Amino acid sequence: MAGLTLWRNIIADFKLADKAVFLFSVSLIVTSFLYFWQTTPASYAMIKSPQHESLQVSLNKKQTYNIQGTLGISAIEVNQGKIRFVSSPCQNKFCIQHGWQQHHGDLTACLPNRISIQLADLNQTASYDAINF
Amino acid sequence: MHHSHLQIETTHQDRLIAGFAALAISIHLLESALPSPIPGIKPGLANLVTLYVLIRHGWRLAVNVSLLRVLAGSLLLGSFLSPTFSLSLAGAIASLTVLGVAWHIPGKPFGPVGLSILAALAHMTAQIVTAYLLFIPHTALFTLLPLLLTSALISGTLGGILVNRIIKRLDELTQHE
Repeated sequence: MAGLTLWRNIIADFKLADKAVFLFSVSLIVTSFLYFWQTTPASYAMIKSPQHESLQVSLNKKQTYNIQGTLGISAIEVNQGKIRFVSSPCQNKFCIQHGWQQHHGDLTACLPNRISIQLADLNQTASYDAINF
Repeated sequence: MHHSHLQIETTHQDRLIAGFAALAISIHLLESALPSPIPGIKPGLANLVTLYVLIRHGWRLAVNVSLLRVLAGSLLLGSFLSPTFSLSLAGAIASLTVLGVAWHIPGKPFGPVGLSILAALAHMTAQIVTAYLLFIPHTALFTLLPLLLTSALISGTLGGILVNRIIKRLDELTQHE
């Protein structure tokens, strides 16, 4: 009961504007969850490999690309707005297990074969994505 | 031989700023030793000093204490002019600006809790925007924003409640004297 009284005292000290700020913040946070946690589908993928600085590939066309990497050829499949590694001459096959990628901002790669795929929508500007100190 | 002593005249305000800044810096250092579950989520205890100083001694003193804390804290931790420092400074400037506006609204509608929440949200938003502009210009960064704002709301609310109780308790103590 002491705990309940304490909380009652605490709430009693809230001014009207404090309560308004609290409720406003809660609604702001809910909105931010809805806004920032929605995913947008990607329209194209950038494939980077030792041979291609960046090969731009549309995700609307069903096709398989055979990309030459440092170890060998990786097969990359595009189907219905999605893209994945089908086969790769690497040891662990993480790239294949990563599976289908379809959202703007998604990134998948086969590091041993030095091939990366970045998904983007058309307004995306290419830029470095992190600085490490 | 004549010795001349260089003496700086200090006012009562200067001594208040120095004392509160020292307190804030100590809390800042202690807090930096605490492990954080997720980068960016911290209780922000040093900001409680800023809030207390704002309510008791006004905005100008709060600005001095907060900026001194960021500067001296970074010098002591060795993060001066590092990304951590930029983020810390951006957060402090944003929360001080918001506090300045909220504090000077006629009739003083906000209590410690409202002020604390506003400052915490401004602090967090400024930090993530700064991180985006300077270090990680990738929109995926904003995926963290809702989570960080939630943590800011929680720590801001609890911080405001704490400051409110500290002020009430200190009032009681000074009345009994």
